Amino acid sequence: MPMLSRPVTGLLLLFACCLPLRAAAPDAATQFEKKIRPLLAEKCWGCHNETKQKGELRLDSLGAMLAGGESGPAVVPGKPEQSLLIAALKHTEQLKMPPKNKLPDADIAALTEWVKAGAVWPDAKPVKPTEMKPAAVRTFTAEEKTFWAFQPVREPRPPRVSSANPIDGYLREKREDAHLPAAPEADRRTLIRRLTFDLTGLPPTMAEVERFVNDHSPNAWDQLIDRLLASPAYGEKWGRRWLDVARYADSNGMDENLAHANAWRYRDYVIRAFNADKPYDQFVKEQIAGDMLSGGTDAERADGLTATGFLIIGPKMLAEDDPMKMRMDIIDEQLDTLGQAFLGLTLGCARCHDHKFDPITAQDYYSLAGIFYSTKTMQNYGVVARWHERPLGSPEAAAKLADFERRLKKATDAVRKPERELRDKVKARLETERKQAATYSAAALELARDPKQKLEQVAEAKKFLPSVLKKWQALAAKWKDQPPPPDELSRIAADPKGPFQVASTLDGEVDATLAGELKKAREDLTAVEKGKPAVDEVMAVEDDKSQNLKVHLRGNHLTLGQEAPRRFPTILAGEAQSPLSKGSGRLEFAEWVASANNPLTARVMANRVWLGHFGTGLVRSPDNFGKLGERPTHPELLDFLATEFVKSGWSVKHLHRLIVKSESFRMSTRYDPVAFQADPDNRLYWHFNRRRLNAEEQRDGMLAVAEMLDRKLGGSLMTVPNRQYVRSTSSKSQEDYNQPRRSVYLPIVRSAVYDVLQANDFPDPSTPAGLRPTTTVPSQALFLLNSKLADQTSEAFAKSLLSLKTTDIGRIEEAYRRSLSRSATPAEVSRAAKYLKQSSGTGEAKAWQGFCRVLLSSAEFAFVE
Amino acid sequence: MTPVLSRRQALQSSAIGFGWLALADMLARAETANPLAPKGPHFEPKAKRVIFLFMHGGPSQVDTFDYKPKLTADDGKPLPFPKPRVVSSATGNLLGSPWKFQQHGQSGAWVSELFPHVAKNVDDLCFVKSMHGSNSRHGGALLELHTGSDTFVRPSMGSWVNYGLGTENRDLPGFITICPSLSHGGVNNFSSAFLPAIYQGTPLGNSGVPSDRANVPFIAGTTSREQQRREIDLLGEMDRERLAQLGPDPALEGRIESFEMAFRMQSAAPAVHDLTKETKETKALYGLDDPATANFGRQCLLARRFAEAGVRFIQCSHSYKWDQHENLKADHTKNAKEVDLPIAGLLTDLKRRGLLKDTLVLWGGEFGRTPVAQGKNGRDHNPHGFTMFLAGGGIKPGISYGATDEYGYYSVADKVHFHDLHATMLHLLGLNHLKLTYRHAGRDFRLTDVHGEVVKGILA
Repeated sequence: MPMLSRPVTGLLLLFACCLPLRAAAPDAATQFEKKIRPLLAEKCWGCHNETKQKGELRLDSLGAMLAGGESGPAVVPGKPEQSLLIAALKHTEQLKMPPKNKLPDADIAALTEWVKAGAVWPDAKPVKPTEMKPAAVRTFTAEEKTFWAFQPVREPRPPRVSSANPIDGYLREKREDAHLPAAPEADRRTLIRRLTFDLTGLPPTMAEVERFVNDHSPNAWDQLIDRLLASPAYGEKWGRRWLDVARYADSNGMDENLAHANAWRYRDYVIRAFNADKPYDQFVKEQIAGDMLSGGTDAERADGLTATGFLIIGPKMLAEDDPMKMRMDIIDEQLDTLGQAFLGLTLGCARCHDHKFDPITAQDYYSLAGIFYSTKTMQNYGVVARWHERPLGSPEAAAKLADFERRLKKATDAVRKPERELRDKVKARLETERKQAATYSAAALELARDPKQKLEQVAEAKKFLPSVLKKWQALAAKWKDQPPPPDELSRIAADPKGPFQVASTLDGEVDATLAGELKKAREDLTAVEKGKPAVDEVMAVEDDKSQNLKVHLRGNHLTLGQEAPRRFPTILAGEAQSPLSKGSGRLEFAEWVASANNPLTARVMANRVWLGHFGTGLVRSPDNFGKLGERPTHPELLDFLATEFVKSGWSVKHLHRLIVKSESFRMSTRYDPVAFQADPDNRLYWHFNRRRLNAEEQRDGMLAVAEMLDRKLGGSLMTVPNRQYVRSTSSKSQEDYNQPRRSVYLPIVRSAVYDVLQANDFPDPSTPAGLRPTTTVPSQALFLLNSKLADQTSEAFAKSLLSLKTTDIGRIEEAYRRSLSRSATPAEVSRAAKYLKQSSGTGEAKAWQGFCRVLLSSAEFAFVE
Repeated sequence: MTPVLSRRQALQSSAIGFGWLALADMLARAETANPLAPKGPHFEPKAKRVIFLFMHGGPSQVDTFDYKPKLTADDGKPLPFPKPRVVSSATGNLLGSPWKFQQHGQSGAWVSELFPHVAKNVDDLCFVKSMHGSNSRHGGALLELHTGSDTFVRPSMGSWVNYGLGTENRDLPGFITICPSLSHGGVNNFSSAFLPAIYQGTPLGNSGVPSDRANVPFIAGTTSREQQRREIDLLGEMDRERLAQLGPDPALEGRIESFEMAFRMQSAAPAVHDLTKETKETKALYGLDDPATANFGRQCLLARRFAEAGVRFIQCSHSYKWDQHENLKADHTKNAKEVDLPIAGLLTDLKRRGLLKDTLVLWGGEFGRTPVAQGKNGRDHNPHGFTMFLAGGGIKPGISYGATDEYGYYSVADKVHFHDLHATMLHLLGLNHLKLTYRHAGRDFRLTDVHGEVVKGILA
């Protein structure tokens, strides 16, 4: 990375060469030798010398100081205020030197003086250009250039073994190379449960299971697939998977946990997009630049705006005293998320320096950052900052809202002006009155002595402010006929909460005309506020003033390097790119990401779909396709899927069909000791991976079995108004999770995720999570044993069983059918009967509730085979 | 507590028929797969656990432990050097401390009259007077203190410790935070972020819940213990049958065990919570007999009990009270009163039980306060120089380390950043902060990011 922009270096060189020509005044030379050189030697040279250069900086010659280090030149002769050395010594900025011990003020003053006087270094030889560090330009190695993920997706060779579905061929050839047996096909009951949970996140009903098990037609499986893909529950399941990647949340989290009361529109957009099988390239473009796409219907334009919520819903430090830091941090979060989500690249790593592992330079980073610097994500960067929202709907509605906002601003300004004038007048008047504290106190005592006197008359006669006199009167009541001593009197007069405090009651007394004006203006403002048009708003970005960023050395916005014209990462888009020119360049960027020629986009998404079905990706690090990520276990298969994906018009449902129609998807989870020995991580897919239900599937499944699940689609369940704190310092989350809606619709409050989801490995909604962890910890067991949800669902389940007109044996069998979609074996029936008998002391209802709880907690319910 | 049946024993006793070779391998994997199994540190540790007494809001250093006579002398005069470039609000001239300071103990540490009880323990304490952070707002500063980052969501220090060392008690979580704040970063201050979720802190209640009602989520339900035992027995039978059918699987087997552990935890956690067996004298030591000190006192007593029970990282939080932009005199007096006796009680109790030598106690807020006045009787946030104190596990007792300038505004000598504090804490626990890493999103992350140096000067 070039640490100095070239023109600046050149100038410094010139300047440096000239320096020794100015003969050092003997005084300056003496001063340098007496004070400056020893100081530098003692305090600086330990880390910045010929052999050791922390921060790539030497301080043992003027030339070295001028050349500077990672953060730029250390000294600008004559200009201490522009000299990084002096700033660092003062310890008031991010860069503090010496790091642990600040120099005494006198030393800092001496060095400042020295820089101011031209940084005279008596024996400084003319600085030869060779002494300057050449600006290091990052070049890519052959290994980097040929890294697999950066190569174009090509139609791969066909599998070496023949198979109806190439997926099976690619998997089988590797398995056969390793001489591993494959598990047989799972039974039909297992298959329908697997497919139903995979595509909809819900358990199949007993009737659905029976129908499928008994359907012997050759296209029964295909029909099942079509039915499930057409169910709105499909979008709820797979939309949620995307929401993990998009770190979706209904509140900001971080320092100021404000409600994103409009975020749900983005969530519903995602669910709709999956249900409609929106082409994935379009889906990508909309989330990056949906606001800039032209044409389409009102609804399509609304979708485009809503989709850009992707860029805004991240966690932000909204109370940051340094606005530039806040702005750059928000951009960093955007780049980090979109890099991982769409490209499987960890772009955020290049903020402070070139990426240590991947060929992404800091220059690349700031080229991309410039796009988002030219995009309005926030309305302001104050404390507490406001994220941007835009009206949704027709242009007329938007115009109405804009008109409202204009009128609101005008009315607000109309209040501010008299308010300010009046406040100044009141303050000025109070200052005058304050000088009369003694006369006020005397009058107040008079009033206290003689109740016949009227306060208003006294005030008028003495030209006092009545409400101030009233306060003195209240004080005088405690004085027992004696005015307070002068000390106390002046304390009262100076007390900001004393009688001379600013109060609205004074307005009319000080200037009745102006007070009348203010009152009128306030009434007008209230009237305007009431007329707010009912226009929905959505978290969305728009283009801002287009500007390039300079590289921030070490990620610090206070030390700037070379300008980074807005463009795409060099390793992917090549050296010969012209800078982006249309506005922020965001639309061009979106089109580049969503292009079939982008080597990463299709691969990353195809891998996500695969991961959703098999539990592991072909690339096992779904959000990182870089050097530290994993290599694909089956590169040809990944490229086959990516090619198919693009060829089908980026149809996600096409990928699902392709995958779930394979034999590989239908394999059983059978354990095989030999295969396990050879491949314990199942990288060769010798059996199907058993998986535990995720948090939403566990909860929705329990509600479904208890016949409590409300299948209503979409809408918001947030109760906290937009931009309000989701919980104050001390109160609990105000959100009500006790609603039997599907989990995807429950509010996701950052910093306070619903405990049921939290206990079941719901990912932190602050960072992209393409792969959820599965932990086995007591919190899941405690949840099933003691939570209100487990109580409610098992109770409802038990009540429903008890209402059946049948025997206990009949009820046990029905319970198995409803929860596990199968009949109970005779041994299971007698075991359950035995349990019920043992539990009879606790009462019938509790005993049955316990039985139902056990079924809903069982491994058979919790795991998909 | 009930001896724990290990995974190995459980699997062996479940007597499933499959090849012994495979079994041995699987068991080895299952053992290493238990992420909370106690782990060896990088080197011999001085401390086995940490108790962090967090003073949310930012106590003033110049009114507590960082004595500045010149500040008193120059009360009302302007600050003779520049204020920081970035500040949270406007401030005025110097404000002398309204409290008197005295020297205490053999070490002669200066303590203000706000902390008379802590003052008696100064010879066990190490005051770090040169703390500094980078963020002047509560949210950023809390996150930086707890996670090392005021910019992004990162794992909290307790979760790093839990990840690095595992837990010594399988019936209890390894990282417990009592009555944590839900604001200013909230759960991110004890979350595991990208570390596996199992390492996150288990909150007992929150800052809005009195400490006598703070408990583990879902620890108690409506089912009687006998009935629950019957349910777990039935469940265990069903699940073991399933395991036998489907062949060995650590996840299935772990699930069976997790219900047993949950069952044990339901008695273990309340047992630690049950303070009835503590003597009257002990309760008084922590101030449980005084309404002013009872709430924080109970947190401190619980911390000692969790420490005894083998929990690695325990945090007590004195909720968001120390933010005296105004009303400094009355509110700092009240706050100090609530915590002074309980803290002294905890230190005394740990010491007499022999626990202090391997327990690292840490006291402090997210930042300090300005020596200059905000309004007449308030101080603004000051991340540039403030005091924390440490005690126990490997800390040099009876010393003061580092210094602020003559008014207590900037840390100037032997500066200690939060990153340094984190590095030092890990060092005392036997962990090298440079080596305790976790790979995520293309990088090996550390608690100290790319910073941090062990503060050798405070090590015993």
